[in-house]
Amino acid sequence: MLDAVSILSILALALGLVLGYAAIRYKVEGNPLVDQIDAILPQTQCGQCDFPGCRPYAEAIASGEAEINQCPPGGQDGVDALAELLDVETLTLNAEHGETKPKRIAVVDEKVCIGCTLCIQACPVDAFVGSSKVMTQVIVSECTGCDLCLPVCPVDCIDMVEVKPTINTFVPNVLELANV
Amino acid sequence: MQDKAMDTNQVMRQVIYALALGVAAQVYFFGFSVLVQIALAVITALAAEALVLRMRGMQIAPSLRDGSAVLTAVLLAIAIPSIAPWWIIVLGVLFAIVFGKQLFGGLGNNPFNPAMLGYAFLLISYPLQMTQWPSEFQGALAIFEFSGVDALTGATNLDYVKTQLMLGESIGALTFESISQMWINFGFLLGGIYLLLRRIVFWHIPLSLIAGLALMSSILYLIDPANFSSPVFHLINGATMLAAFFIATDPVSASTTPLGRLIYGFAIGAIIIVIRVFGGYPDAVAFAVLLMNITVPLIDYYTQPKVFGK
Amino acid sequence: MSNFTFKGGLVLENPFPAKEIDLIRIPLPDRVVLPMQQRIGDQAKPCVSVGDHVLTGQVIATIDDDRCAPVHASISGTVVAIDNQVMAHQSGLEALCVTIESDGEDEWMDNSVACTENYDFCTPDTIYNKIRLSGIVGMGGAGFPTHTKVQFAEGCHTLIVNATECEPGIMCDDALMQAYPTKVIRGVEVLLHICGAEKAIIAIEDDKKESIELLRKFCKNERITIEAIPTKYTSGAEKILVKSLLGIEIPSGGYASDVGVLCQNVGTLVAIFDAVVENRPLISRVVTITGSAIKEPKNLQVRLGASYDYVLSFADIEQGENDIRMAGMMMGVDLEGTNYSISKNTNCIFVNKPIEKPSAQECIRCGMCNTVCPVELLPQQLYWYSKSSNIEKALDYNLLDCIECGCCSHVCPSNIPLVDYYQFAKALNKQQTKEKEQTDNARERFEFREFRLERNKQERAEMMEAKKKALKEKMAKDKAQKIAIAAAQERVNAAKTAKESEDAR
Repeated sequence: MLDAVSILSILALALGLVLGYAAIRYKVEGNPLVDQIDAILPQTQCGQCDFPGCRPYAEAIASGEAEINQCPPGGQDGVDALAELLDVETLTLNAEHGETKPKRIAVVDEKVCIGCTLCIQACPVDAFVGSSKVMTQVIVSECTGCDLCLPVCPVDCIDMVEVKPTINTFVPNVLELANV
Repeated sequence: MQDKAMDTNQVMRQVIYALALGVAAQVYFFGFSVLVQIALAVITALAAEALVLRMRGMQIAPSLRDGSAVLTAVLLAIAIPSIAPWWIIVLGVLFAIVFGKQLFGGLGNNPFNPAMLGYAFLLISYPLQMTQWPSEFQGALAIFEFSGVDALTGATNLDYVKTQLMLGESIGALTFESISQMWINFGFLLGGIYLLLRRIVFWHIPLSLIAGLALMSSILYLIDPANFSSPVFHLINGATMLAAFFIATDPVSASTTPLGRLIYGFAIGAIIIVIRVFGGYPDAVAFAVLLMNITVPLIDYYTQPKVFGK
Repeated sequence: MSNFTFKGGLVLENPFPAKEIDLIRIPLPDRVVLPMQQRIGDQAKPCVSVGDHVLTGQVIATIDDDRCAPVHASISGTVVAIDNQVMAHQSGLEALCVTIESDGEDEWMDNSVACTENYDFCTPDTIYNKIRLSGIVGMGGAGFPTHTKVQFAEGCHTLIVNATECEPGIMCDDALMQAYPTKVIRGVEVLLHICGAEKAIIAIEDDKKESIELLRKFCKNERITIEAIPTKYTSGAEKILVKSLLGIEIPSGGYASDVGVLCQNVGTLVAIFDAVVENRPLISRVVTITGSAIKEPKNLQVRLGASYDYVLSFADIEQGENDIRMAGMMMGVDLEGTNYSISKNTNCIFVNKPIEKPSAQECIRCGMCNTVCPVELLPQQLYWYSKSSNIEKALDYNLLDCIECGCCSHVCPSNIPLVDYYQFAKALNKQQTKEKEQTDNARERFEFREFRLERNKQERAEMMEAKKKALKEKMAKDKAQKIAIAAAQERVNAAKTAKESEDAR
C-alpha cells in the first residue's frame, strides 16, 4: 500500500518536473494557433468578416470571439478546413457576411479616373499605383479582389473582373471523370 | 511487354477457376459438403454485397459482376472446416463482406483481406466449430446436421502435432497421415502455377512467402528436430499453398511495390511459422496476413522503386 | 554496344498501317486560323490589324520574351478577324487567333536574304536569330520554342534527332524523312554548326526501314550517325531516348540540356533547314490522317491554320458520326467536333468510328501499371492520392516525374483513365502553389501596410510631440526673455527715477 503510494508519488513528481522543464525549454513564441488559422484564411483582407483583415479575424477565432463561418472568400471549403483544424463541428457559411464569388481583380477605367488617390488609401495590400491628379492603375498580381476600393471611388471607375481560366491554368475536372 | 491481357472481372474469374483443383482435392477427401459450403458462401456474399451497395445508394450490378465478392466467399468457404455448421460460413461471409470490404468503401478500398478478416472473426468467436475437420468422406448435407457431427471428426495434423507436443511427445514418435493435406496443397500449388503463367499474380509474393516459411521452419528444425516439425511438413500441411498463391496475393490488401511484395510475402511466411509453432491456434495464415496488411502502407512508402532520374 | 532499349514501355503495333508512306501536298486553304498560343508558353502579340493585307511568310505576331515564338501568315490575303477561338485542347477553352482569308495568289515575302547553302559563313548568332524569327517550335507535339531550347543547350556535347515517331499510328516523321532525306541531314548540319555539339545521333525506330536506308545513303558527314532503335512505345520520350542512346539519366526535374544533350524532332530540323537555307519561316507541316474511320491513312503537307474539315476532306472518311482525336492514340486529346485548325504541333488527327469505352472500375492495385511505367513510378499509388486530391502525398510519390505517356492507362485491367488523374493532380498542384504564393504575398503586403500605417501614426505622434515641445520651449524662452526685458526695463526705470531724484536733489 505504502509502496504503491510512494512509487506513484515519485513518478508523478518526476514526470511533473519533466513537463515543467519542457514547458520552459520548448516554449513557443507567439501564438501558433493564430498562425495556423491565418494560413487557412484566403488573405483577401476584404473585411467582410467584420474584422479589419485576415489576421485580426484569425486572432478573433483563436480567442473564441468569432465564429469560423464569417469568411465568404474562403468559401465553404475554408470553413470546413477551419473546423478540422480546430476540431469543431463545421458550420455553413454565414450569408450575412456575403457570398462566395469567383476570384476577381480590380480594373481601373483609365478614361474616367480622376486621380483622387482614395483607392490607394483603401487598398489593404497596396495594389494600386498612382499619385494625386494622375491616372491610377492596379498591379494585377497583387490585387486580392477584396472590393474595398469600390465604395471609396467617387467616379465609379473601378470594375471587378472575374479571372477566367486559360489554357495554361486550366484544371481538368477529375470528379466528373470519376463518376463516368 | 504486352497489350492489355484482361480486365478486372476476367482476372477475378481466372483466380476462381484456378482454385478448382484444390477444391476438387478437398471434395475427394472431405466430401460434397465442401461444395455446399461454397454455394452457401457465394449466395450470402452476393446478397450481402447487394444489400450494402443498395444502402450506400450505389449501382449494384457492376459490382456484383466484378467477381470480387464471389472470390472472397469461395476463399473463406474452403478455408473453414467442411463440416462446420451452415451458419458458420454465413456469419463469416457476412462479416467479411460487410465489415471487411464494404464499410471501407468496397472493392479496392479495404486495407485487410476480407476473407481472412472473416476467418479470424470465426476462429475467435467459434473456436470449437472452426477446428473440427472430418476424418472421412462426408455427405453433401452434413453441415445441416446438428447432432453426431463430433463423432466423425478429428483434428488436423497441425493441431494434432501441437497437442501431442504439449503432452510431452516428441515429433519423431508421432505418426500421422498427411495424404489429404498433401494433395489439397498440391492442388492449390498447381492452380497457383497456372496464375503465375497467366501473369495474373506476380511471382514475388508466393515465392517469398514460401521462402519465408521454409527458412523459418528450417531454422527451428535445425535447432531442435525433436520439438519442431520439418519444413516439408509445414509446406504440405495447413493452408500453406492456398495462402501463398491465393490469399496473400490479394492485390488490394497486399504491398504493391516489387520489393515491398518480397518483404510482405516473406514476413507472412515467417509469421505463419511463429504462430503455428508458438501460438495458440493450429493454423496461422489469417493472422499472419492480417498483421502484414496493417504494415502495407508503411512498406509501400519505404520501398518505392528508384524513379527515373532520382 | 547497347541495344538501345529501356525498362517498361509497351510494344504496340501501328493499328492502321498505310500501304504507301507518301507525302501529299494539298492545295492552299481558303482561310487559315492561326493561334497566338502554342501548347505551352506565352502568347505572341498580334502586330497586324483587321483589314491588313499580308503576304505568305509575313510576321503577324511578335514576341517579347523567349517563352513563345512569333507567328507568320501561312497564306497571302486579308486579315479578317483577330479574336478568341476554341483551341484543340482538352479544356475546350478559347485563345487569341488571327484569321486570314486567302487571295488565292500565295504571294511570298521577299525571301532572298537567306544564309543560303553557305551557312557555314554565317555566325551561329545569325543563324540562331534566324531560327528565333522564323517561329519554329518543337514539331513533335510539345510546341516549345526551338530557339529557347537551343539557347538552353549551349555547350552541349551531343545532338539527338528524335525521328522515333512519338506514337504508333503517327507517320508524319517517316513521311518527311522519305520525302526530304537531304533536308534532314542538312538541317542536322546547320544545328551542329550553331549548338557546338561534337556529334549528332539520328534515332529512328527499326520498323522504318526505308527511312533508315535513305538517311544512311545521303549522310556523308561522319559526325552524324543513324541508329535504329527498337520499336517500343515511349522510346521517343526525351528522357527515355537520351537514356537508351547514351546511357545518361536526365535528373528528375531536369532537362536534356542539364546533361549536355540537345534533343530535336526531325520535323523541327527540316523547319530549321527551310528557315536558315531557304529563308522560309514555319508556315506548313506534315499531318498524319489516320484512324478506324479512314480507309487509307495519309500524310499531308498542310499550311498551318487550315481547318480540320478542310484537311479531312482529302482523306477517305467513312460516313457517319466519328470521334476526332488530336495527336496520338496514347497521349492525344479527344475533341468535340472538327471546328479547329492545324497548329504548329498538330502531328496527327485520328478519325475513329465511335466505340463504347469500357467503364472504369475500382483500382485493385494489381501492379500492371508499374511494370510498364518507363520512369518507374507507382501509378497505382499516384492514382490513389490524385483521386483524393492529396497532392502532398502524390508529390511524395514523384507525381512531377510522370511523363503522361499513357502506358499505365493502356494496361489497366480496371480501365481507369490514370493519366487524366495525374494531369488533374499536376494542374491542381500548379494552381495551389500559385495560390499559396499569392496569399503569402497578400499577407506580407497587408502586414507591411499595417506596419507602415502604424509607423506613420507613430511618426506623426512623435512629430507632434516634438513640435509641442519646441513650442513650449519657445514659449518658455519668450517668457524668460520677457521677464528679462521687464527686469531690464525695471532696472532702467529704477535708474531713471534714481537719477531723476538725484537730479531733483
